[in-house]
Amino acid sequence: MVKNLLAFGMTLSFLAFPLISSGSDVFPYDAKIEKLENGLTVVSVPMKNPHIISYYIIVRSGSRNEIEPGKSGFAHFFEHMMFKGTKNIPREQYDDFLTELGAGTNGYTSDDFTCYFVVFAGRENLEKVVKTEADRFINLYYDEEMLKTEAAVIEGEYYSSVSNPGRRIYETLRHKAFEKHSYKHTTLGYLKDIQDMPNQFEYSKLYKKRFYAPDNTILLVAGDYDHQELMELVQTYYSDWEPSGYTLKTPIEPPQEQAKRAHYEWPSSTTPRIAMAFHGPAFSDQDIDKAALDLLAQIGFSQSSPLYQRLVVEEQKCFVVYADFPDRRDPPLLTFNALVKNQEDLSYVEEEIFKELEHYKNELVSEDNLEDVKSNLKYSMARQLGTTDGTAGILAFYLNLTTDPSSINKLFDLYQKITPQDIQEMANKYFIKTNSTVVTLTGGEEK
Amino acid sequence: MKHLNQTVLLIIIGFSLVCANCGKTSSDAISTELLPLEGNPLVCIKVVLNNGSADDPAGKEGLSALTFRMLSDGGSEQFTYKEISEKFYPMAAFVDMQIDKEMTVFSGTIHKDNLEEYYSLFKDMLLKPGFREEDFIRIKTNHLNFLQKTLVNNMDEQFGKEILNLMMYEEHPYGHTELGTVKSVKGLTLDDVKNHYENHFVQGNVTIGIAGGYPSEFPKKIVSDFSSLPQGSTPELTLPEQQPPDGLQFVIADKSTPATAISMGFPIPITKAHPDYFALWIAGSHFGEHRQHLSHLFQKIREERGQNYGDYAYIEHFIEGRGKFPETNYCRQQQYFSIWIRPLSNSNRHFVLRQAIRELKKLVQEGIPPERFELTKKYLVNYTKLYTQTLSERLGWHMDSTYYGYKSFLEEAHKQIPKVKIEEVNSAIKKYLNFKNLYIAVVTQDAESFKENLIANTPSPITYSNPNMPEDILTEDLIIQEFPLVVNPENVITAKASRFFQEPEIPEEKK
Repeated sequence: MVKNLLAFGMTLSFLAFPLISSGSDVFPYDAKIEKLENGLTVVSVPMKNPHIISYYIIVRSGSRNEIEPGKSGFAHFFEHMMFKGTKNIPREQYDDFLTELGAGTNGYTSDDFTCYFVVFAGRENLEKVVKTEADRFINLYYDEEMLKTEAAVIEGEYYSSVSNPGRRIYETLRHKAFEKHSYKHTTLGYLKDIQDMPNQFEYSKLYKKRFYAPDNTILLVAGDYDHQELMELVQTYYSDWEPSGYTLKTPIEPPQEQAKRAHYEWPSSTTPRIAMAFHGPAFSDQDIDKAALDLLAQIGFSQSSPLYQRLVVEEQKCFVVYADFPDRRDPPLLTFNALVKNQEDLSYVEEEIFKELEHYKNELVSEDNLEDVKSNLKYSMARQLGTTDGTAGILAFYLNLTTDPSSINKLFDLYQKITPQDIQEMANKYFIKTNSTVVTLTGGEEK
Repeated sequence: MKHLNQTVLLIIIGFSLVCANCGKTSSDAISTELLPLEGNPLVCIKVVLNNGSADDPAGKEGLSALTFRMLSDGGSEQFTYKEISEKFYPMAAFVDMQIDKEMTVFSGTIHKDNLEEYYSLFKDMLLKPGFREEDFIRIKTNHLNFLQKTLVNNMDEQFGKEILNLMMYEEHPYGHTELGTVKSVKGLTLDDVKNHYENHFVQGNVTIGIAGGYPSEFPKKIVSDFSSLPQGSTPELTLPEQQPPDGLQFVIADKSTPATAISMGFPIPITKAHPDYFALWIAGSHFGEHRQHLSHLFQKIREERGQNYGDYAYIEHFIEGRGKFPETNYCRQQQYFSIWIRPLSNSNRHFVLRQAIRELKKLVQEGIPPERFELTKKYLVNYTKLYTQTLSERLGWHMDSTYYGYKSFLEEAHKQIPKVKIEEVNSAIKKYLNFKNLYIAVVTQDAESFKENLIANTPSPITYSNPNMPEDILTEDLIIQEFPLVVNPENVITAKASRFFQEPEIPEEKK
């Protein structure tokens, strides 16, 4: 029985068509970039046929900006406060506006940025969205009571993850590995700082003044609209936004000079874990360091890598092994993670990861391996660019890093140039024992 | 747990116990659903099997999950899992498997550059599985680890939801986690897996969905290949009556934790196939739309009082997919209503439980406010337009539409929702929802003291860090903190968290 469902209707055209062919750009869309006089960067990606508009506001302030003691988690907290409305459009009215629009909307905070998005259908709604979002960012209003109530929500969000040992080992690792840089804490922040958030009303106003300003923000729009019309609307509604002029100076992390270790005892039975980290390079679409290490992470620790296949599939010592090399504005941790079946194998797994890294320091990866990784990254990106919103989400991330919409293509061009020698050189530069931090987590007695 | 007898149950729920318009087709041949999309460089393939954990034989709970995971995460006859991983890697490809009570899906989205090579591996994994001992041990160990450690120790929200499932579906084919129990999984053998595959992976159980820019001859090829499966289908799953709770029935899992997770609900007799679905959908969306400000519970518990990260309600089984949209291909003949209270401070658990049930009572007794009714209708019509942005989502919704008897469920929703009258919503609320008979699953610390407070109806005042909370909220709090919950001691079971999922039954603390 073959049913050919050709009733596509409107939804058919929601799909964007990313193209992959040799020689073409990985990011195939025409991204226009303009800047208002107040410093607001506008990136516009008109797309054919999608009927959906993704409206992203990228504030280049994340937990990286929490450089003062006692303020960890504040970027994330402030993200919550951004939903409190204005005197023009109070919270309830704002919520109802988005509800009636049927918008997919939310915000998220990362190490380096905070992102807000409204995804909606129908270009006829564009002006309402531009107007409402501009008002929210320019005229945000909340009182101390509203802040205190929202602070309790953050504690609730912390509780939502309190049973997750992955979060605990991640917190412990960062706290141990960093001495000065604000990457020392996670986006959610330390619990003691979260519990002090109800007392931070005055600081919240300072935070907004410093970072929620057009010269620290990128407006990204992708989808079905006319670029010129968008720019006229943006000029109309965002021009009164006052720039901040504030310059953040994040602390410089001193070079790590000796290996570090920590252990976290989970209060009940759980799967043993190990996380091993090295201080690595910041993101760049010009320098090869991070790009070469991205390829090494794939060759050495992806699911098809020899180490994964040995530890997970053949010896079955681990449930999973993976590398996490995030792209960050400042030098982040390059982390290797494993969930280990038996606690007594933690040392063995740690040794095997170190041995694997030594291997890449001493041996060149094969050209075939390298080509496979480049192909994987290319097709992974193509799949993510398959929708308007997927495209906006990816682009938002790279815009946070460089403000340059061509960074994705520059990065993939860089990948193409990386040689086995480059990878070996970077392995030797960064994977030094004294630059490492190892954290283990094991289950304790059941209570 | 106590249940109403079946006569009373039929009077209360008064509905056909098996969804009349949904479920597997009677055909013994492979079904296909095609969404050609010329010019799209991606192709999505879904092989949907009309079998899930409800088909697990008694004592072999988890067999379906283990069997089908052996296909997606194991080798084929020709290639080992390692070799398949290596071949998939340059294509950024994999085979995804999801299993629910009555449905299992194998899927993949691939660039058309790689379709031929990918499909060749995909079909062999499903049609000629390797069933190697080493894959079996690896996957079985993964499943056991999840049941023994991860679920009860590392994911309290999901833990609460699974306890609710145990409570709602005791002695019912839905009544175990998809992965089974520690005892049953330990007893499974590779021969069990092979037999289960042979008996269930047959043509009549299979629907193949293809979407995207695939070549015109591709559907014929895939049907031809899958026609190598044995003909026939497994008997249609006949489900027993759903068991509504008698009063407020609690299961409290005790563990060391600073936060309490709560899930509660009860079976309801309608699915998407039922004409009342759209009216009840509006009610559910207003009361607890998933992770949206529209949710009334979210507004009352989080926004007004800052108790936790979110509070939601659902009129059917809900799995969050991309973004916050519902995942597809979790079709069921029987559904349930549920409320999800995200973790909150242990000290406020009694208050928030009272508040949620009181809000449910108000919904049942007072119905949906007229202004929220119109807003919710507009919301649903517009928000559902965002459901189908990826190939996989489009294909998934089409396949679900067929299951529930629609040409396109979403198009039908866009037609039907604007026509629904407020009286129909309030009638559906009264018909299908209630606040007196609830299964309530709680994961918390010091379960015995919570039990004592519940039984004694101890007042549960809370404090705020904000000294200037609005007067209307404080006034309402005085009512909430004493809101009576009628809890009979025999309706409260407590047990240590580590004792759950060892066997199909709900554990109970021995006195």
